[in-house]
Amino acid sequence: MIRTLFLPFRSYKYLLLQLTQREIKARYKQSFVGYLWVVLNPLAQLLVYSFVFSVVFRFPTNNVPYIIFLYAGLLPWGLFQGSLATATQSLVDNAPLIRKVAFPREVIPYSVILAKIVDFCVSAAIFVVMMIIFRVPFAQTSIYLVPLFLTQLFLTTGIALMLSAANLFYRDIQYLANLLLMLWMYMTPVVYPLSLVPSKYVWLYKLNPMVGIIEGYRSALFQYPFEWTIIYWSMGIALITFCIGFYLFKKSEKVFADIA
Amino acid sequence: MTEPIIQFSHVAKLYYLQEDRTFKDVIPSMLFGKPWAKKHSVFKDLNFSIGRGETVGIVGKNGAGKSTLLKLIAGVTYPNSGHVQIHGRVAPLIELGAGFHHELSGYENIFLNAAILGMHKREIEVKVREIIAFSELEEFIHVPVKRYSSGMQMRLGFAVAIHVDVPILLIDEVLAVGDRDFQKKCLDRLQEMKRKENKTIIFVSHNEEAVKSFCERTILLEEGKIIADGTPDEVFRRYNRE
Repeated sequence: MIRTLFLPFRSYKYLLLQLTQREIKARYKQSFVGYLWVVLNPLAQLLVYSFVFSVVFRFPTNNVPYIIFLYAGLLPWGLFQGSLATATQSLVDNAPLIRKVAFPREVIPYSVILAKIVDFCVSAAIFVVMMIIFRVPFAQTSIYLVPLFLTQLFLTTGIALMLSAANLFYRDIQYLANLLLMLWMYMTPVVYPLSLVPSKYVWLYKLNPMVGIIEGYRSALFQYPFEWTIIYWSMGIALITFCIGFYLFKKSEKVFADIA
Repeated sequence: MTEPIIQFSHVAKLYYLQEDRTFKDVIPSMLFGKPWAKKHSVFKDLNFSIGRGETVGIVGKNGAGKSTLLKLIAGVTYPNSGHVQIHGRVAPLIELGAGFHHELSGYENIFLNAAILGMHKREIEVKVREIIAFSELEEFIHVPVKRYSSGMQMRLGFAVAIHVDVPILLIDEVLAVGDRDFQKKCLDRLQEMKRKENKTIIFVSHNEEAVKSFCERTILLEEGKIIADGTPDEVFRRYNRE
């Protein structure tokens, strides 16, 4: 099982790299500004949200400029949502390949997620620049971003494996996934702070594994106090989700070529 | 015969054909107790083996099971019962569009396609010139593949596939697209590979001439059964009589 887990990163390393490159390169071919869209898209989104939520509504953000507060949540959320939306379609999009050539199928959703991580890194660099412009100090606790990011990655990959395989059987999944992702965003403290959630429901709210992750990022960046219980909860859920996702994916993989 | 490189023993393969795909079809048929899918059996008890270095033509009418046979050899689908044993890696000749991304250039697609067929970076870099030369697409190699004609795409795909260093090569009907000169070039190249590199080549084609000139053995499939297995001349005599 362990060997199967690492196969895509050893024997199929170059295929993974090529598919990731294809994802990145092909997306912005025959467009004038090309890869710049990766930056323009989140920036535009950021401007809209920060207008709506700092001018129209006002959220308490503990002395952190709202736009920075927002970006710290919107950036990883964008990675999560983008990865899942694209990964869900990835096996269907590559059906001709699945019918012809044998290789571990998880390489396909992995490559989609890797491509999104590359985009994420570009946006993250802009975030750093913005933090400097807005004079937000870099906290030492930022080191905790690493385990939090890994948690997010495991959660994303687990869900992506389940959704991409399920979408091969029934295309309803891709529509359902987009709908649920939109709802999920508003169930997560991305645009608003956790402190605004009514205390009566907050325990229920915190069952959502993305709450611990997004809150964790903000604690790490802005030196808010860490709420370790929900972070550990998210880590546990992420690992379990990945294991279940991988298991189900590998189990159904053998019939992919017959139903694709 | 030499040691078998491909061995099918008692292979059975069936597909589930779902006629009702949507909710509004599925609910009534469940109420009336109709089974959720129809079984379609392709092979019931298929037995044969192919030795190392053989070139085998697979012929038969549409729906005889030729493509399923290739899929089983390529390892993308699995038998419902029985065993398929393959010794060594397999390179299928990928059909138009499957392994290509039409927005990427021919050059980028060579690397993509070769990686899909299991080649590593270093290997491809060594062979990329040869691949381009074989495809005769030097002039257009940095143009997106979507601007290629179907013949040009086929040439690129074929050029990549035959440069992959694997013992088993699967060729499925694709040669039909190229012009006559390129078809001849491909067949010549395959002949050369057969002689020098002792490759096992499985060749699915309706082109009697190509099979006769290239294959030393031919298998005739009909409704999932092997009804003739021998030299191309014998098998085609039987096929044409029907």
